[in-house]
Amino acid sequence: MVAVSFNNVWKDYGDSVAVRDLNMNIKDGEFVSLLGPSGCGKSTSLRMLAGLEHITSGEIVFGDKVVNQLPPKDRDIAMVFENYALYPHKTIFDNIANPLKRAKISPSEITRRVNEAAKLLEIDHLLERRPQELSGGQKQRTAIGRAIVRQPQVYLFDEPIAHLDAKLRARMRSELKHMQFNLGVTTIYVTHDQLEALTMADRIAVMNDGVLQQFGTPQEIYENPVNSWVATFVGEPQMSLMEMSMTGEKGDAALDFFGNIISLDAASSSRLTKAGIADLLVGVRPDKASVSLQETPGAIKAEVYSRQLLGADVLVEVAIGKTRVRAKADTSFMGNVGEPCYLNFSSENLYYFNAEDGKVVER
Amino acid sequence: MTIGSEKNIHPALSDQDWGYATISQTPTSVNPNPKKWFYFYLAAPAIILLAAITIYPFFWLIYMSFHKVGFGAVSDVFVGLKNFSRLFSDAKFIAGWGLLLKYSAICLTIQVLVGVALAVVLNNSRYEKPLITMFLMPMMVSPVVAGLLFYYLYNGTFGWYHWIFQSLGILGETSILGNSSTALYGIILVDVWQWTPLITLITLAGLKRVPQDQLEANMVDGAGSISNFFHISLPNIYPFLLIAILLRFMDNFRFIDAILVLTGGGPGNSTRLLPVYLFDVSFQFFKLGRGAAIAISLLIVTIILGMILVRVLEDPARKSTLAGDSDS
Ligand SMILES: Nc1ncnc2c1ncn2[C@@H]1O[C@H](COP(=O)(O)OP(=O)(O)OP(=O)(O)O)[C@@H](O)[C@H]1O
Ligand SMILES: [Mg+2]
Repeated sequence: MVAVSFNNVWKDYGDSVAVRDLNMNIKDGEFVSLLGPSGCGKSTSLRMLAGLEHITSGEIVFGDKVVNQLPPKDRDIAMVFENYALYPHKTIFDNIANPLKRAKISPSEITRRVNEAAKLLEIDHLLERRPQELSGGQKQRTAIGRAIVRQPQVYLFDEPIAHLDAKLRARMRSELKHMQFNLGVTTIYVTHDQLEALTMADRIAVMNDGVLQQFGTPQEIYENPVNSWVATFVGEPQMSLMEMSMTGEKGDAALDFFGNIISLDAASSSRLTKAGIADLLVGVRPDKASVSLQETPGAIKAEVYSRQLLGADVLVEVAIGKTRVRAKADTSFMGNVGEPCYLNFSSENLYYFNAEDGKVVER
Repeated sequence: MTIGSEKNIHPALSDQDWGYATISQTPTSVNPNPKKWFYFYLAAPAIILLAAITIYPFFWLIYMSFHKVGFGAVSDVFVGLKNFSRLFSDAKFIAGWGLLLKYSAICLTIQVLVGVALAVVLNNSRYEKPLITMFLMPMMVSPVVAGLLFYYLYNGTFGWYHWIFQSLGILGETSILGNSSTALYGIILVDVWQWTPLITLITLAGLKRVPQDQLEANMVDGAGSISNFFHISLPNIYPFLLIAILLRFMDNFRFIDAILVLTGGGPGNSTRLLPVYLFDVSFQFFKLGRGAAIAISLLIVTIILGMILVRVLEDPARKSTLAGDSDS
């Protein structure tokens, strides 16, 4: 129930930089997901918020207070650690009760709240055990219990449900989201599972290599990625990128893709001529590309590279020279590997990036 | 099927279950005739040595405790349990136990409190490495030398400690060892000086192994450094500490060297701890039978107390109770 900001925050470990000039303003009560590949600095950012990691430079602000020097106990946060960090010498009950005991809450209230949290997490039958007698998923739920048993200013979750089975994960996703919405506690949720980020977060912060790439709503990130890295990282199955170059004059501009000429709609055409970039990376999401064995007008000749059943439909990867493009087709698509086929997409659904630096072409 | 159970049959013929047979026969083919006696021969020298240096004297001790041990031409006389029964009416024996327990309890309490506090202060501090090296020195001094050292420090005319204690008003004219009400504390100080560093070292080693993530989680849960120490560090170093206590307490029960140098049990009987009395009985009055009985009583109590400590060490439930988990 407090706004949280990173202002020009850097974190170095010796000569390696874990977080680079991070700027992020998280609103009061917002659910923000930190999304990025392994080692990109998600946990480091979260630990800096918690006060467990010293900040090399910059400011972290809770509300209107700079908290750089504030120890964790005075920040009023609850955190789920990536490696659980349970207390092996305490029972599960005492593990979950620990924050309440530290806050000197009455024993009867502690018992009530611990039981409530344990029931929600389906670990109420394990309260007498010790952490080493629990499975990975049960430990993780204990760690969640220890965080949600009280109502802090900020929740910090570091991959809290990564070790649960698919069904329980889906349930926990909705329980956590429901709880967060009801309590209105500002939440920062680290994950490398984009489905989790897309489904739960109000806004997503996409990080790579210690740098915040983009911070926006799930829709913004999905529809308007700021660079080719975010575009390919977010979205499942992954977007395909094709190297293309501009041809033709103003008015009848088109794209040249290894000799295939792709005509442009009016909006794309004016956008690309205005930017005047010769070499482009053009992205297409698999569900916006189609593939067929019959030649259709404007289609690009390709070769089937692989075919994977996704359930309701088929993901077909086709090769055009060295470039691979993924497209969704329905299960009736019967192309075998190596067979010639035809790839089709419309320019309205394409994403345009500068081939030099990967940045999106301005609208 | 155990290894070698079918050693005379070719593996392929020995068993219907081929896979099973192959697996169980492999070690046999490496060592075709494992004989139990072979292992015994290997271990025999060690067993004999062990028997000679520990088991034989032990049985000899038991033998002596049932006899009035004679010297030279005088032969041993069997007296049954008389050596033991006499102990119960021996005031010096009972007082010796009292002094030993008091001495041991005070030593251990001070050593653990001071040792752990020192370790916590030193842990990760700039002075940790140089101070640890210094701490090792008292432990390397032999107890007799330590006794002599304190003998001079306590000396009533030129002893430096004596002067300090006197300036502080704790002591009067007589030296700390010369007064029957303070002599025991003078001896305790020697043990504290010599062995507190051991507790510090062991605690430091334990503190290094306290998992950082538990400390962090507890801090996030709202704990300051004091709560962190009692709820996380202490339960984690607790097994180390218990072993240190066990070692020290067993050592205290044999403690004699410095006392002999400093007071020889006096003044009066104020520092005649049981081991000192045992020494007197056996080697001053040469009542070896009675001495052996005293030694056995010491041994039995040591074993019982040691077993209790080990039991506590192994019991996880006790562990968390000691950690102050039921603090709510
Ligand atoms: N204590 C440390 N000393 C040195 N380097 C560190 C330390 N902690 C983290 N790093 C480095 O900082 C970078 C970011 O680490 P961080 O733990 O934040 O990654 P992450 O995004 O949480 O990854 P994952 O998804 O695998 O948990 C990594 O390159 C890591 O090697
Ligand atoms: Mg991490």
